Amino acid sequence: MFKSHNFIHALCLLSVFSTAFGQLKIGDKLPGIQLQNNEDVAIDLQSYQGKVILVDFWASWCAPCRVANKKMAPFYKQYKSEQFEVVGISVDTDKQKWNNAITKDKLEYGQLIDPNGFDAKSAVLFGVEQLPSSYLFDTTGTLVSINPTEEEIIQLIKKIK
Amino acid sequence: MKNINLKSILIAAFVLIASTNSYSQISKAEIIATGLTCSMCSNAINKQLKSMAEVESVSTDLNTNTFTVTLKDNNAVTPNILKESVEKTGFFIGSMVLTMDLGNVQVAENQKVERPSGTYIFVNNSTKTGPIKVQVLNDGFVTKKEFKKSAKLQAKFAQATANENTYLIKSI
Repeated sequence: MFKSHNFIHALCLLSVFSTAFGQLKIGDKLPGIQLQNNEDVAIDLQSYQGKVILVDFWASWCAPCRVANKKMAPFYKQYKSEQFEVVGISVDTDKQKWNNAITKDKLEYGQLIDPNGFDAKSAVLFGVEQLPSSYLFDTTGTLVSINPTEEEIIQLIKKIK
Repeated sequence: MKNINLKSILIAAFVLIASTNSYSQISKAEIIATGLTCSMCSNAINKQLKSMAEVESVSTDLNTNTFTVTLKDNNAVTPNILKESVEKTGFFIGSMVLTMDLGNVQVAENQKVERPSGTYIFVNNSTKTGPIKVQVLNDGFVTKKEFKKSAKLQAKFAQATANENTYLIKSI
């Protein structure tokens, strides 16, 4: 009796750990997560599927993220007409600072917020261990690259044609 | 039966007294980490600190880039253990401020306080008693720049800080 109890406990623990430390691997599908955008509308990540998608985790207080933002803004403008979409997920806990950063960095792509730092559900699900971290999905919603270079993104966009 | 009850009550009371009396341990550590990259942009330090058995919780203040580590009661954590934990993640200590209860110690310059978590030598006077906040000034506990700046002070206490687990502290 005791043994079976222990076994069940062990299984429960195992499942907790495997989900807690679960992280997206190359070949995994775009997860369905709903988050609020900067217009207070709940957006499902999967609603972007069909395009080349770059999911970009960042925060307003993260200096290297802000540097990356300033590069991504013109890059997005250049390629948005070619079935390319960027979805920023901020783990900011302060929405005002988040909004200010979006304005300041002139970000025109989708902006979602998961206001819980590294403990944010989406960050845990993706396996984000540092900021910035970005995840490139192809048109079928399959993860093809983590922290891709601009060249890798361009290559994938050109592949659609 | 009665005797056993009495005994266990006595033991419990003794343990309670002993534990409340052990105002020697560090209850909280506020750590600023430095490194080549943004320390708050990595989950590594947070994870590493949380993985320590003696750590109750870790919180981060993004305005001051500080990790606040709350330690469990009766822990045996030394400042060196905390430092090594942070360094495991590839970062360094920029500042470490400890909260500890030294009891009825009247803080005075050059005063040496020996506690299970280490030997502490004060560099300043303070009127505070009970739980106090102190900054560790040893090499590796402040930035290189600050350490160099405090050369005179370091030289004055060099003999003492050469001993193991001995810390130069400033009451703040």
